[in-house]
Formats: sequence, C-alpha cells, structure tokens
Amino acid sequence: MKFGLPQILAARHEQFGGIVATERPRALVHLDRALMRRLGYGPSALWDNPAPSPLSAPTEVHLVLSKRCAAGCKGCYVDATPKGEVMSLDDAKRSLDELARLKVFHIALGGGEAMDIEYLFEVADYARTVGIIPNLTTAGLTLTEAQAERCRVFGQINVSVDGVGAAYEKARGFDGYDRAERALRLLRAVTRHVGINFVVSRSSYDGIDEVARLAKKLKLSELELLRFKPAGRGGGAMFDAEDLTPEQARGIYPKALRLALRRRLRVKLDCSFAPMVFAHNPPPALASFFGVQGCVGGDVLAAVHPDGVVTGCSFGGPPEADGRQVGEFEAAWKTGFRAFRDYVATAPEPCASCRYLSLCRGGCRVVSAARGQWSDPDPGCPRVQDYRAKNPPVRHSMPIV
Amino acid sequence: MSSPGKVLRVTFGANPNSSSLGVDVTFLLFGTMAASAIAVLASALLRRARQPEPKADV
Repeated sequence: MKFGLPQILAARHEQFGGIVATERPRALVHLDRALMRRLGYGPSALWDNPAPSPLSAPTEVHLVLSKRCAAGCKGCYVDATPKGEVMSLDDAKRSLDELARLKVFHIALGGGEAMDIEYLFEVADYARTVGIIPNLTTAGLTLTEAQAERCRVFGQINVSVDGVGAAYEKARGFDGYDRAERALRLLRAVTRHVGINFVVSRSSYDGIDEVARLAKKLKLSELELLRFKPAGRGGGAMFDAEDLTPEQARGIYPKALRLALRRRLRVKLDCSFAPMVFAHNPPPALASFFGVQGCVGGDVLAAVHPDGVVTGCSFGGPPEADGRQVGEFEAAWKTGFRAFRDYVATAPEPCASCRYLSLCRGGCRVVSAARGQWSDPDPGCPRVQDYRAKNPPVRHSMPIV
Repeated sequence: MSSPGKVLRVTFGANPNSSSLGVDVTFLLFGTMAASAIAVLASALLRRARQPEPKADV
C-alpha cells in the first residue's frame, strides 16, 4: 500500500458529512461535516436531516455480468453453466450510468467467468469514463498475456484459488491450479493490485496456510478469505457438507491474524465472517473505524444481476428494482432493502443484546435463510451457538406417539 | 474557532468480490491508539490532498 499525499478521486455528501475516495493510499474515507467543509464540499441538503439515515447510495456494487462459465466449480454460487445468461453490453453501460449518477465509487465485476465475456474491457473502460473504479474477480483459467496487459484498467484483480495443487482440485472439482497460478504471475507482472480469493469451507480450511504462502511468494497485495455460502450449487447438501465446523468458525479470525503477522500479508475476511470476528471481542470503536461490518447488503453494497434485477447482496435478497431503468435503483435505495435494513431494529436474542449488533447486523442473512428464516441470527455465529446451547427452543406441540 | 473536523472511518483497498470489502485484520492488529493516529494523519493529509474538479455540488 502506497502512502503519500493522497489524491481525492471522487466525493459525495452523506447525512453524517461525506465520503471521499482517495488514491495513494486507495481508500474510502468517511468525514464529518466540518472536515467536508474544510475540503470545500458542502453544505448539502442531506445535512438538514438530523437523524442518521442509510447512505445516499451504496459505495460499491457487484455487477454480475454473466452466469456463464465453462469451469463447472462444484460450489459455484451463481450456478454458472457454459450457456448461462449474459448481460448485454448496452445493459451493462445503462447500469453503470445509473450507478455513476448515484456516485457509487467501486464496482466488482464477476458472476460467471467475466474474462470470457468479449466486451469485458469495454465495460471496465466505460466504468472509468463515468468515474467508477472497476475491480475484477476471475478464475484466470484462460487468461492470455494480452488480456493480462489490459487488466491494468482494474483497481484490484483477485484470482480464485481455493487450494494449492491437489487441494485446488478437491475444492473446485477440476484440476485448474497450474492455470490459476499462471494467471497470478501474468497479472502480477503488469500490476501490483493482484490478490487471491480463497473460499473457506470445511474441506478447504486446512489449506489456507499454503495459499497464504503462495500469496507471499508471488508478492500479491492481499489474501481475501470468503465464507462458503449456501447459494447456487453451494446450497442444500453441499452446504451441509461444507459449512464450517464450530471449531473452524471460532478459529478463522485468530488464524487470519496469525497469517497477517507471520507472512506480513494483508489478510481480509468477507462480511459474512463478521460474527466470527466479533466473537473475539475487538474494541467496537476500532472495528467501526476500520469499517468492520457484518451484513452490508442494502447498506454499502448492492448487486445487479444479468437480467438487471437489483438485490441487496449477490447471494440473496428480494428483487428491489431493474438496475437498467433510469431512476429505479435510486428510488429503491431510498425506501427499499427492508429485508436487510430492518434486522437491527427487529433482531431477536442473542443479537438484540449483543454490543456488536449495529456493526454485525446479525451476520449473513443468506446463511440464516438456508438454516431457518431470513430474519434469524446467523447460526454460524459462536455467540448464537452458545446461546442456543443454553436456551434450547421450546416445543409448542406434543410429539405424535 | 471552527472545528477542524475529523475522519470517522477508513476502509483501505478496493473490493473485487461479490461480498463486502471485508474485515482487514491487518488494521485490527494495530489497536485503538493506531486508529486515532491514522484518523489524525488522514485528516491532515486530506486537507493537503489534490482535489478533483469541480469540488462544488458533490
């Protein structure tokens, strides 16, 4: 990460003040009203509202360009297939126009294999043109040198690597490790903003250390650990088999800290791991300052799917709008996304009395829905597991004898 | 004298993923004092930062 005199790339007002996107270091910085004024931004009509309100727009949106991919990963969360749906270039541009109008800072391009879409770089260039930083996730299986060169347009590129060597095949269901490592090397040769996405499942958990070693060896910018989610082909029996054990769930945060220290590597955990982080009692003020949050669906994050449907999260949530239609996303953002936003106000125990509730927001809604109700606390949370062990559910009906 | 203003939150990096920017455990290692120092430093640096054009009506 490069520090120096930062350059402000973009800024927007919020009820609390505003957010600026900077380069060197690359960051999103939330400022109070006084500092916004000092930087020359303001005042804003949003400042007339004394009560805290949702952000004026997401800070980042996942643009699911396609559900098309020939790799056939056994846990693919979009259930991508070789003939899956693809967003048209015009629709992608229309969505970007809408997101730019809302002053969204970043988009994440992914879904199926975005690298296989012929217009991928045209979408990325267009995002830059309208002032949005495009980022990319790829399996990298078919990446060419020419494509790698064009990847300079992206702010950050992560390659999916869920294990080294045979562990990759075990996790994904096919032998693609050598091609993934080749992609990492090709990309690293043209940009330093290259990292690894590692999907942490029950069976891949023990391979994290080896992938961290790889990330360090290739001088990558980050290792991001993503919780295995019950979506697409990862649902049902697959999730039953691959959901983390309670011991793994308790161990993921200490493991990530050890890796960051031992390897001097930037290690990140995705939003769905927040309950596993808060179970270790980090200071809430520190977590808040560094943006450590649980479910950020409908808060800082939203997703636009290939058919234009907008949801609060790429993995689930009710349809909120058609992201290609002028004004629909904005209107939905103002009053919608209740399935995500209402959790804090209506949370049951043990979330209701948890001091991390406003940060954690009950953990991952998609996992809750897969194990019970959307509005349940995340069953993978160590605190929830302890609570349920002490307070087993009350039986309301007599058993049938 | 008017308030100098303050930095409320910083999230480093860019997110290429379908889920959130995530928990950057690297920064949680630093502790609360370091967060305060980063807030002061970031505030000072931002006041000297190069600005986009135009600044008004963001």
